[in-house]
Amino acid sequence: MTLILILPAALLISLVFLFPLVHYLWLSSKAFSVMTGLVAINNNGANWIRLLNDQRFWQDIYQTTRFAITSVSLELLLAIIIAIILDQRIKGRGLIRAITLLPWALPTAVMALGWRWIFNSPYGPIEQITSLLGLEPINILSTPEITWMATVIADVWKTTPFIALIILAGLQSIPYDLYEALRLEGGNQYSAFIKITIPLISPYIFLSLVFRLAQAFGVFDLIQVMTGGGPASSTESIAMYAYINAMRFLDFGYSATIMIGSFLLLSTSCFLAYLIINQTKSLISNQKP
Amino acid sequence: MYKKISISLALGLILIVTSLLAGFASFLRVDHINVLMPAPFADSTTEIVERFNKDFHGKIKVHVTRGPMETEAMSDLAISSLILDNSPYDIILMDVTWLAKYAEAGWLVDLNQWFNKEKTEEIVTGAMIGNYYKNNLFRWPFVADMGLLYWRTDLMERPPKTPNELIEITQILQNRNKVKHGFVWQGRQYEGLSCVFLEVLKGFGGNWINGNAIGLNLPESKNAVSWLKELIDKDISPTSVTNFAEPEALQVFKSGDSALMRNWPYAWAELQKEDSAVRGKVGITTMVSLPGVKSSSTLGSWGFSIMEKSTQKDSSAKVIEYLTSVKSQEELFLNFGYTPTNIKLFKDSELIHQSEIIMDLYNALNLTVSRPQLPLYAQFSDVIQRELSAILTDKKSVNEGLSLAQKNSENILSSSAGRFQ
Repeated sequence: MTLILILPAALLISLVFLFPLVHYLWLSSKAFSVMTGLVAINNNGANWIRLLNDQRFWQDIYQTTRFAITSVSLELLLAIIIAIILDQRIKGRGLIRAITLLPWALPTAVMALGWRWIFNSPYGPIEQITSLLGLEPINILSTPEITWMATVIADVWKTTPFIALIILAGLQSIPYDLYEALRLEGGNQYSAFIKITIPLISPYIFLSLVFRLAQAFGVFDLIQVMTGGGPASSTESIAMYAYINAMRFLDFGYSATIMIGSFLLLSTSCFLAYLIINQTKSLISNQKP
Repeated sequence: MYKKISISLALGLILIVTSLLAGFASFLRVDHINVLMPAPFADSTTEIVERFNKDFHGKIKVHVTRGPMETEAMSDLAISSLILDNSPYDIILMDVTWLAKYAEAGWLVDLNQWFNKEKTEEIVTGAMIGNYYKNNLFRWPFVADMGLLYWRTDLMERPPKTPNELIEITQILQNRNKVKHGFVWQGRQYEGLSCVFLEVLKGFGGNWINGNAIGLNLPESKNAVSWLKELIDKDISPTSVTNFAEPEALQVFKSGDSALMRNWPYAWAELQKEDSAVRGKVGITTMVSLPGVKSSSTLGSWGFSIMEKSTQKDSSAKVIEYLTSVKSQEELFLNFGYTPTNIKLFKDSELIHQSEIIMDLYNALNLTVSRPQLPLYAQFSDVIQRELSAILTDKKSVNEGLSLAQKNSENILSSSAGRFQ
């Protein structure tokens, strides 16, 4: 009976999730491009050999990971601070919360254009400030070593409110009595934060980390609009590479291979991270008397 | 007996009436033609399309879909619809670089039966480039578009002709503090950089892809790229030019901060607006070239193609003919500055009198060069964009970048195993 009841949901999930995945897996084993006249032809795993030897793929994996980890860590740090501030009983709290959420409500393409303008040289505000100070122009979007940081800044600006909101929800679920009790026991603010706040919001932190990391690894629109992957491909993400292969080069077989390849890499590293976290958790709990 | 006759009579009557009705219905049938165009083109052709629908009332009705503004986004939409094998569009307004790829995918129809030799002879030669693939006419030109060199008539008497002259003139102007930057162009890692590269390369006597030969590691290519790099190193072009697309270059030039700009014809109208600091101080020419080498202008251009899956190809051809007629072209040139493709308009003395740039456009149109017309063009372009961007932003030396671009391009060529040659 239970099986029958979950059947509709299971069917729906397999339709929207499993089917594309299996289709991509199938596609990754075929030559399917404008060169084959858009007909799928077996190519004995040539796509996979090409992927393993494709420097650009590995460079993009590195760049995407660098982008995802830096931006999500920064976002988390800022979000915890913002959430704690928003949790205080201050005047006009509702208004402040609404304002904080604004960046998140903006469409990514629009805000990416805004940031492209902010970093514009010579007319953008940042270059204007440096020239007022008599400094040399920085040319942020034309210097491969630092352009990726500009994309991180834009991403942090946009998605910190999202994490802050989730953590704020976590903060509000903590009963005030706990803090009261700790204070009666003689605990200070710092120990309240370490012993009550952090452990109780950790499920929320974990949740937002999962959401955000998955999103950041798939980053596309922000970078496409801000830099188009340049300069010198230094900001190209893995999703952009897969997109270029499918839509520009009409090479759907290789594009599918890139997607499946990065999916495998990402899920393996997530699994490893999960194992490590679990191990350290059990180690810590075992140490306690 | 009587009953039998009446039944057959009745049957006969029904047959006659239904066939009459069917005939009447087919007489009344209206062909609905769906056209996909980038939004700016859809907006500028609104009046012409309305007039067409009035003229062909009861026969053909045109519906225009406003596609995205950006070329690449427009291509994504078109490809997404075509790949599903069920495209709702009969006609798509196509960029010149898509043609080979779309034709090879089998999405386009040969237009030869509707647009014969007589009609093609009415079009300026430069505007006919890029409409053929494997000797089939797959696209009919709508708007000509080509790379231009804009120069400031208040700063120099005549525009530079050679690469050295360009450096000399701009450096003098910059040293005398007449202008902040010498020359702005499109240096961002995207298709615009490939267009600039092709123009400069041709001006240095080089070739990008010629049949089976890739010329990226030849001295001409190295000289061309070194020159572009030199412009940045000597501060003739600002370092930020490596993140410039068309709007950024236009903005610098429009503010009066640059002596020269490489851009497309659309920029002219922008430079003549009231908020332009260089209004009435701008001239048009084509890219510099070495002495003895012809100047070149990268062909942009948009044209209409009929989709293979369309069930109303004849009516579609009529629509294309109407939209690209001399009358439509004249209107679009006068109201929106779209460069015409029909020779008649360039010989129209009234039009020449009305427009100060039409002859400059005509000259540029006779110097057009097309980007390699290969189904794998996007790959080749991507390779050169990556390496050029690396060279211009000091990530790689000219030799290093071009050698790698040569190697990667050869790999693409050999992977196609001569299929497209």
